[in-house]
Amino acid sequence: MTYAHDRSDVESFYSLAGVDLSKVHCQGTACFVARHRNSSRWREAASQSPPVYCLGKCYAAPATSEDQSRPRIEVRSRVPVVLERIVKGGAPTLDAYLRGGGLAGLHAALTRKPGEIIDELEASELKGRGGAGFSTGAKWRVAARQESPEKHVVANLDEGDPGAYIDRFIAEDDPYCLIEGMVIAARAVGAARGWIYARCEYPQAIQSLTRAIEAARAGELLGPRIAGTDFSFDIELIVGRGSYECGEETALLNSIEGQRPVARARPPYVAEQGLWSMPTVVNNAETLANVPWILRHGAEEYRSLGIPGSRGTKVVSLNSLFRRPGLYEVEFGVPLREIVEDLGGGLRSGTLRGLLVGGPLAGIVPPDLLGTLFGFDELRAIGASVGHGGLIAFDENTSIAEVVRHVFAFGAYESCGNCTPCRLGAPRIEAIFASIVAGQSGTHLQEIEWRDITAALKLASLCGLGVGLAEFAESVDRHYAQELRPCFT
Amino acid sequence: MLHVTINGRPHEVAPGQSILAALRSTADTVPTLCDDPRLAPIGNCRLCLVEIEGQPHPVAACTTLLSDGAKILTHTPQLEKLRRTQLRLLALHYPADALASVPQSDFHRLLQVYGLENDLAGQARPELVDDSHPCIHVDMARCIHCMRCVRICNEVAGRFVWRAWNRGDRTEIRPAGGVILRDSDCVSCGACVDTCPSNALQDKTVSPPVAASREIRTVCSYCGTGCELHVGTRDNRLVSARPVLDAPVNKGHLCVKGRYGWDFVHAPDRVTQPMIRTGDDWKVVTWNDAAEFVGQRLRQIIDGHGPDAVGILGSARATNEENYLAQKFARVVVGSNNVDCCARVCHAPTAAGMKLMLGTGAATNSFDDIELARTIMVCGANPTENHPIVGDRIKQAALRGAELIVIDPRRIDLAEHARLHLQLRPGTNVPLLNAMAHTIVTEGLFDAAVVPEHIEGWDEFQHFIADRSPERAADICGVDAEAIRQAARIYATRRPAMCFHGLGVTEHIQGTEGVMCLVNLALLTGNIGRPGAGINPLRGQNNVQGAAHMGCDPGLLTGSAPVGEHRPRFEAAWKSPIPSRPGLNLMQMMDAARHGAFKALWAIGYDIALTNPNAADTLEALRSLDLLVVQDLFLNETARLAATVFLPACSSFEKDGTFMNSERRVQRVRKAIEPMGESLNDWEIVVRIAQVMGEGDRFSYRCAEDIWNEIREVWPAGAGITYRRLDIAGLQWPCPTEDHPGTSVLHTGIFSGDNRVRLRQVEFSPTPERTSDEFPLLLVTGRALYQFNAGTMSNRSRTALLQPVDVLRISPADAERFGIEDGQPVRVRSRYGEITVGARLSHDVRTGDLYATFQSPEVFVNRITSRNRDHYVQTPEYKVTAVRIEPIESL
Repeated sequence: MTYAHDRSDVESFYSLAGVDLSKVHCQGTACFVARHRNSSRWREAASQSPPVYCLGKCYAAPATSEDQSRPRIEVRSRVPVVLERIVKGGAPTLDAYLRGGGLAGLHAALTRKPGEIIDELEASELKGRGGAGFSTGAKWRVAARQESPEKHVVANLDEGDPGAYIDRFIAEDDPYCLIEGMVIAARAVGAARGWIYARCEYPQAIQSLTRAIEAARAGELLGPRIAGTDFSFDIELIVGRGSYECGEETALLNSIEGQRPVARARPPYVAEQGLWSMPTVVNNAETLANVPWILRHGAEEYRSLGIPGSRGTKVVSLNSLFRRPGLYEVEFGVPLREIVEDLGGGLRSGTLRGLLVGGPLAGIVPPDLLGTLFGFDELRAIGASVGHGGLIAFDENTSIAEVVRHVFAFGAYESCGNCTPCRLGAPRIEAIFASIVAGQSGTHLQEIEWRDITAALKLASLCGLGVGLAEFAESVDRHYAQELRPCFT
Repeated sequence: MLHVTINGRPHEVAPGQSILAALRSTADTVPTLCDDPRLAPIGNCRLCLVEIEGQPHPVAACTTLLSDGAKILTHTPQLEKLRRTQLRLLALHYPADALASVPQSDFHRLLQVYGLENDLAGQARPELVDDSHPCIHVDMARCIHCMRCVRICNEVAGRFVWRAWNRGDRTEIRPAGGVILRDSDCVSCGACVDTCPSNALQDKTVSPPVAASREIRTVCSYCGTGCELHVGTRDNRLVSARPVLDAPVNKGHLCVKGRYGWDFVHAPDRVTQPMIRTGDDWKVVTWNDAAEFVGQRLRQIIDGHGPDAVGILGSARATNEENYLAQKFARVVVGSNNVDCCARVCHAPTAAGMKLMLGTGAATNSFDDIELARTIMVCGANPTENHPIVGDRIKQAALRGAELIVIDPRRIDLAEHARLHLQLRPGTNVPLLNAMAHTIVTEGLFDAAVVPEHIEGWDEFQHFIADRSPERAADICGVDAEAIRQAARIYATRRPAMCFHGLGVTEHIQGTEGVMCLVNLALLTGNIGRPGAGINPLRGQNNVQGAAHMGCDPGLLTGSAPVGEHRPRFEAAWKSPIPSRPGLNLMQMMDAARHGAFKALWAIGYDIALTNPNAADTLEALRSLDLLVVQDLFLNETARLAATVFLPACSSFEKDGTFMNSERRVQRVRKAIEPMGESLNDWEIVVRIAQVMGEGDRFSYRCAEDIWNEIREVWPAGAGITYRRLDIAGLQWPCPTEDHPGTSVLHTGIFSGDNRVRLRQVEFSPTPERTSDEFPLLLVTGRALYQFNAGTMSNRSRTALLQPVDVLRISPADAERFGIEDGQPVRVRSRYGEITVGARLSHDVRTGDLYATFQSPEVFVNRITSRNRDHYVQTPEYKVTAVRIEPIESL
């Protein structure tokens, strides 16, 4: 007997491999802060094994997989970029996509040299919508520069950040836009193989993508000789099996390779050595959905949207505590207050205690900072970030200690375990705040631990998961000192 | 060079290295737990963080490349606090009582440095303890998740046993398949234990565990790979063995035998006093009495029957110095060329075939060429079991993309990683290799720079090879013709191509011819005389290359110098006449003994009775002798069954000297402990008997180095190899002068100028040993991972717990055909004898073949092996015996 090819060890990493997701309850952050709205459902979610963190139904939180309702979807930017078709009900077929302006970007791209496509992208100042906010054009340029017989383009559709659900609707309602963005990226960097990594918690998205990829092959949008040119590119869809960490690009690549999906140390960066050590562009789905529009309308027009440092539009996802939860495409530069009050209509009930912007692994924005503009630099200045564009408001039903406990429980559960601060530090903080939430007062030593571990997460973590936890913790320290102080005696 | 500033001091360091490597070179060490120089860095322990001026966050020194002008700080208060925070998190999960475990680990030391001994709060977790493995204790409650065990099992050992399960703080390290370690694919190399920084994995070498008080660097006592190890000792006992990180061959890796197979030294049946047999009893005598006895009896026999009635066998496990003295004794004191060693039963065909065709009977290249080769062809060898360090390096090369071709009747481990496995019928190497040559010639795949310009008699060879097509070989060999063609194409075109071969080539009646066929292929394709290529025998024992090379060969003097030609030179050096009469080799000695012409044999470290083929013949020969002197650590089968005198020798751990590995590398053997009891170095015993026989003047040495310096005088190619140089590192001959760096690749000028080489036209003469209705199966014998040759060492060490007795491997189809179940005892009959052995069902052997090791006296596999021998050098055909088998209902 030999076990050399047995990979059950790798499978054990994933929490949802083989799990029936047709009747599960969500305990993502949006559901957590809305637990008082349906406490029996929440109790089921919290006791469910394995837990499910975010079904992308934050607009209906606390959510269950059986809920088939759609969110409100509105365009509040001067022109629609990402929601152009989605707001009109989507483009379920390639024909519908073509009628909705699809493939114009690709045709524009195919008339240009790869380097010129990248020039256009750089001129647009498009930044990644998946969290890090890195320049997409610059990323492509690095990959294009690499000498390699094979390169890859990967769409990161592992939208695990609780609170955000735009990628889900791109995949479900406008899958050809994502494919078109990938084909353009492949053309620009010289890649022949593409991958979409989609999470299993989005079953309809997977169905939609599967159909779209087949139709795209039939329509010469994928495969050999795309659109009659000598350029060939094809996409394989990989379905996640339950791991937030797989949204981290190096872990995602390990997962595609069939390796244990832990974070890799960088450098080398994936644009240099990614999938099987080959140059790889990994872009978030919404980022790629911006690409056809930019090629179709030009960088100038794109740049005219938004503000310096944050160009274009962003789709924000609002949770169920808002009066009008849903997806809103806004231009960068809009004040947070406008999103909260004008778009979201304020809270359904109660008073706003804080706003988790860009997912739980980022800073909380307290109500007195709602004047901050929604932009990369502006949010960073107050210890928050654009992230995925999820906005989770919470009210007086949720104390700061409870939020801290929830976020660190999530972080500890989803930590890949590769680096020490995240593997052991996150559960440690979860335990400290669990006892505080249970009514015990934290000790002075625990307060020191909270700070020390936060520092270690911030400065020593291998990937964004640990750093995100630290940024969250730091913002709690910074903005909620009054609430935090009584936690420790 | 890069100019960097480390902690305020300027340094010049080599480019292309990590910050961590640079810090080590400047002695600015930072703590680390996940780093091991044998492994690719993964940067997961986050302790080696450093601050670089201008960078917003600390970076991991192990995964960050050093850049010019960097200003690095290694111990700022921020960094030290980060380290302490993380170490404390680890400490909170580490059991306090583990701090007392030995050896003291890197993690223990860091806990002390950061004052965290009192923060240990981990719980003992019985469910994480796995004590199933005889050599390795597992307690994963002590695991700190550095992944070094997982990584070393993948990146060095290539076994993929240790796996990480689950994620986050639920991550557990357990063997693949979720089984206990004993039931896993573990090959017990102990690399995981060696790298573990927290004692989650510990050696079970001595009980209770003790820390070594001293470590000595020496060479392993098993195969011909020549691994260096640090032997730990305490109170004149061996307590541990660790791989030497900068050893040229093993580079920080060892196999199970090197790492756990050394406690035979302290085995309870070790004999440490000389003994003389009286009837069935052994009488302990003094060394003086024993030497007098042997000297007098030898003198009587020489006087009565002439010097050629006496023979000596050197030992592949004794040093070069000792083998040199053994053959000098035969030639000078006895006056006969009757001297041989166990190369006769293994690689004598290699030495003969390669010497004939290339001029040197030794590996043309070095193990470091494995990483340079684009193709590796392994023929008749099972390196992952029998030369595991070489096997593991080959496997890693294949995993990195080198083409691997395996030619072997068994589906050996390397075949799993091979592009092609030619699973041929035993005894058909020659037609298969000829068919590869045919493909290379007829498809024009030969090296145009070599053929025809540097080939003597090209037309004749072309003509000869023309009708030896793969299609013709296919039937004889039982291999698909297209596979033979593909192998030839890969070997010829994906160059450099390196060939390794073992006893599957040599232990046949066409052994020497098989080697010649391999050399033909290398010459045709230009795979000789260049890095990453060559013909490379894997020598079986640690010093079998040296034993023969020192002159334990009836036709060759020290340095492989033919007696006829070089006799005058040695007579001058030794100030003694040397007989010109050709000597008898081991097989001829046995024949002559049976016929009454050969009367006395002195066997040094060699269990002839158990290992020579056809035991009935062997025992008859041994029992015909008037004097049989056995010099060994143990009363082996030869001693037990037929010896007159037993002389207790000591192991290589108890002596100084040198060994010569498969790639011609001479390395220092260093004494780690004083000899057990009254046992002596083999060379001291030879000297004593020479003294008794009145030749003390010619055998006057104070130490091994004295002997070595005499060897350097008679062996020009080794003249530059001094002990002083060897104390720094081993050297590969030829090394004619003290400023010569040694030679890693032989024959570099073979295709230059107007030099021409001759290809051999090897006709295939099949073995007479055929299957029949009565004997329908073919038995192949050989070694296995845990069973080394006669088992003298491996069967008396901890390794014996892993596989205590010989088994017969049989294909499931044959097992079904003959009604045999796994584990059932079976009777095996050949034309020569009969044995009883337990069966083991194995998918590795072909249907129609059987495979057995030969170390257990209670099985005595050589009772059934044949009388057939190689045409040229009389090496026995261990690899083909026709047998029948039948199950035994119960014993």
